[in-house]
Amino acid sequence: MRVEVRLFGGLEKFVKDVRFGEGFPVDLPEGGRVAELLDRLGIPPSQVFSVLINGRHASLADVLREGDRVALFPPLGGG
Amino acid sequence: MERERYLRQITLPGVGEEGQEKLLRSRVLVVGAGGLGAPVACYLAAAGVGTLGLVDDDVVKLSNLQRQILYRTEDLGRPKVEVARRQLLSLNPEVKVEVWRERFAEDNALSLVERFDVVVDATDNFFTRALLNRACVARSKPLVHGGVRNFAGEVMTVLPGSGPCLACLFPLESKAASAQTEGSSVLGPVPGVIGTLQAVEVLKYLLGLGELLVGRLLVYDALSATFHEVQVTRNPSCPVCSKF
Ligand SMILES: [Zn+2]
Repeated sequence: MRVEVRLFGGLEKFVKDVRFGEGFPVDLPEGGRVAELLDRLGIPPSQVFSVLINGRHASLADVLREGDRVALFPPLGGG
Repeated sequence: MERERYLRQITLPGVGEEGQEKLLRSRVLVVGAGGLGAPVACYLAAAGVGTLGLVDDDVVKLSNLQRQILYRTEDLGRPKVEVARRQLLSLNPEVKVEVWRERFAEDNALSLVERFDVVVDATDNFFTRALLNRACVARSKPLVHGGVRNFAGEVMTVLPGSGPCLACLFPLESKAASAQTEGSSVLGPVPGVIGTLQAVEVLKYLLGLGELLVGRLLVYDALSATFHEVQVTRNPSCPVCSKF
């Protein structure tokens, strides 16, 4: 199955030729979870603070489905 | 009202003297008087938002001056909210500035939020942000969120009841979130960009203009010089807003 991934806030540095916020496709085995997606991309789970699947808050254990749009964010700072 | 002061916005379509009067009657609370709070407070005072509330317990430090444009070198060591009040009143003596030189905390959160029409998240840590989100959802107050880190930043507006809250977006209520981000690196103008966008959201809300960033996280990256929008939907099991 194929999902679309967008990386923000420096997470894009982990993946070659990927730009901040721009979607790219990732192929995963059926039933793959967010944790497996991170593994495939080489992003340490400790760097990921927030996961959205199709705009909905998700966790590393959530199972992905064909066509899902996944957005990954690092921790945020402030003022 | 000094009509001439606001002339360039009174003449905007959808604003007029009526809109300006509305701004002068409005009350906005800015939580955090740092890199985000500085541009937010300056633009809102300049626009003639009648009452601005500022909450911050900090004093001006040398490492603040790279981005916190309300403060000057001679202000080092002075309470931020006091310096901010002086600066904002000198910018626009027509507005009122109410300050609280304290932390936004469990014991003052609801009573502070209740006094205002709109709240701005200009905080620098997740604990305060989580508290602010809970208080705004509980009192049904619009919350304009902003955050920055390194070369990037984001804005989203929470309208309790009609869109996702911050806990729908981040694991704000979990232990992992307690990892403090205070003191993280940031390129000075990035909070300027984000704080300015927060001020725009506040003015749009108060004037009833345009479309707010409700359910839309607007993300800015200075390095690629791009803005991206991420749709965010309400989490039906959100620990904060699903109860309201
Ligand atoms: Zn929520």
